[in-house]
Amino acid sequence: MILWKSLLTPVQPYRIAALLAGLLTSLSAVGFELAVSNERSDEVLIHDERGKVLRTLFRCERPRDLHYSGETNSLWIACAEQNQVVRVSVEDGEILQTITGLDGASTLAMNEENLLVVSNERASTASVIELPEGKLLATLPTGYEPDGVAISVDHKRIFVASENAGLVHVFSTQDYSEEAKILTNLRPRGLAIAESELWVSTEMGSRVEIFDIQTLKKVDEIIFAPRGLRSEQLTPVDIIFSTDTRFAYVALGAANHIAIIDRQTREILKYILVGRRAWGLALSPNEDRLYVLNGLSDDMTIIDLDSRRPVASVRTGLVPRAVEVLQ
Amino acid sequence: MTKLKIALLSLMLAGAVQAESLHLTIVSTPQQREDLTSFSGIVVEERRALERAIKLALDEAKLKFDLYGIEPQLKTIEIDPAQPIEQQLSDLDANHLLLLDLPANLLKTAANYADKLDAVAINTSASEQSLRSDLCLPGVYHAIPSDRMYFDALAQFLVHSGWLKVLLVHGSSERDMERKTILAESIERFGGSISDERIFTLSHHPDDRDRNKPEFLTGRSSYDVVAVIDSELDFGRRIQFSTRRPRPVVGDVGLVPKAWHYALERYGAPQLNERYRNLGSTESSARLAMTDREFAAWASVKFVANSLNPTHLTGDGLNLRSLFEDKESRVDLYKGTRGSFRYWNHQMRQPILLATENYVSDIAPMPKFLHPTHYTDTLGEDQPESTCQHPLR
Repeated sequence: MILWKSLLTPVQPYRIAALLAGLLTSLSAVGFELAVSNERSDEVLIHDERGKVLRTLFRCERPRDLHYSGETNSLWIACAEQNQVVRVSVEDGEILQTITGLDGASTLAMNEENLLVVSNERASTASVIELPEGKLLATLPTGYEPDGVAISVDHKRIFVASENAGLVHVFSTQDYSEEAKILTNLRPRGLAIAESELWVSTEMGSRVEIFDIQTLKKVDEIIFAPRGLRSEQLTPVDIIFSTDTRFAYVALGAANHIAIIDRQTREILKYILVGRRAWGLALSPNEDRLYVLNGLSDDMTIIDLDSRRPVASVRTGLVPRAVEVLQ
Repeated sequence: MTKLKIALLSLMLAGAVQAESLHLTIVSTPQQREDLTSFSGIVVEERRALERAIKLALDEAKLKFDLYGIEPQLKTIEIDPAQPIEQQLSDLDANHLLLLDLPANLLKTAANYADKLDAVAINTSASEQSLRSDLCLPGVYHAIPSDRMYFDALAQFLVHSGWLKVLLVHGSSERDMERKTILAESIERFGGSISDERIFTLSHHPDDRDRNKPEFLTGRSSYDVVAVIDSELDFGRRIQFSTRRPRPVVGDVGLVPKAWHYALERYGAPQLNERYRNLGSTESSARLAMTDREFAAWASVKFVANSLNPTHLTGDGLNLRSLFEDKESRVDLYKGTRGSFRYWNHQMRQPILLATENYVSDIAPMPKFLHPTHYTDTLGEDQPESTCQHPLR
């Protein structure tokens, strides 16, 4: 009787996934850590490369975007409800620097010329800050709900997406004047730059629009259509590229999938099922794994990029927003 | 100035060379704007004017309208229901976007007139199901959800929750009878059932007093949930926490299907609610939010702003009809799913919130209620059922 019962007990799939993940990582031990911001539980947690929570690095109100600084082994954190961006030591979570007056600090962009750009959701502005001092260089006015920010590779332009206005503001880094507005589809969220292209995810437009970074003209768009989902459910958010810019990875929000795209041909190579409302993305240092934050199911899916399969889902805090590899 | 900069500047200014007016006209009646008071004299529903919500939408649309050189002009016509409506609307022409904040009978007359003018008229306030077939006019759109949409959302929630046996308690007015029939259809359509129907009468007559007791109305039956239909929001208030069995109450009280809510926490809704509260007015409180009528008006103006592209601008200015008929037109509703108008009956498709007084419990469509083409089309009359069949353009 007991034997029968145990035979009939369904094997929990996540156990197998966890086991597989364990096997995989033990075969290719890499040993790096990840930081994950959790908007609702007000914490930045440190996970190991297999996703296990190691410790709480830092607590602040509604932490959103993260940016790792390798030189100083520190992490920039946008604390939206505290209207500030802080830089904390990865070792002990000690605050090393605080930049205040960023009303609803949301998304961060940084370049090698020590420019930090922060979108301020509540103020409808973006702040341009010079590092390392943290001096405010300019406050750029935007439409309502600014979110994604990007700095062009030649450092000449700053891009800021306004979700509400449905456009991307283009500012010059020379005098911080607005050069243009790029009209996009509904609710532009994530911005990512690869070579001469600016990729914009439009959350309510269910597509990624691609613009030429010089002419600012739309050159292409990628419309998602995984089987079994209606167009309105596809709400793309984060976009990241592989270092060689061959692949683009897009989190598809409420569609609970991510898409792997060949950047040049625009071909969607694979849709992979993840948790609910896939949002933040990060690649492992050798780019064999993709970390996907699921904002509604409060977990993180780890995808093996060689097999293009999910290998594990691990718990996070509440409403995980951004994930950053600390290496 | 570099060549590139000049090119960009001209791109920015291209639309602005010729300023185009967008006339937005709210048509309402003094009665429609009064608060709804109960039999016992308590205000049970606030009925704010639509101006504030429209001003919010115009403020949000400003950057895009500026790029296209569109100058919105907002005015309100308050009509006297006792006088002929056509005369009172005689200043209007095809360039107007009419936001009709009218009860069903007046709406019909005004919408027919607007359609004759080739204007676009939007029903922001009447959810009557019959209007979706009776007002099957090319220039008339319904931004407020229909009865069927509200009740399909509620029925999906009940079935999803496993609350399958429903005791239906309703008033005796014509509107209550119409709405309770639709609710019963929705519940049965999604797999629930009506265990019994009970009617109440609003009166002080001694004979009605005993009959109207909530404990009596909700007794002698087995049910999972009580659904109350009370369009006047009066008697229904007494049912919750007075049922014979300890069961939840839904419908017009308790858990209510709504187009908008102050406590929606996701999809950018807190930001939208904050902007609404802060919009230059003396009236402000943490719970102040758009009513469903205001949300419909806001969504209609945002629909124009979100959908606008150069093809809608002709020599004569902004062609609203072409914008509304464009199958690519859509709106960001701050409810996680974009909205658009169903081409066959011009009803705005949208998610429906299921909310208590201070919490949004869920958003329909509920999981597992799937439609072959449009995510939100399990809510409301679908194309094959509709008697209104506009062609797809």
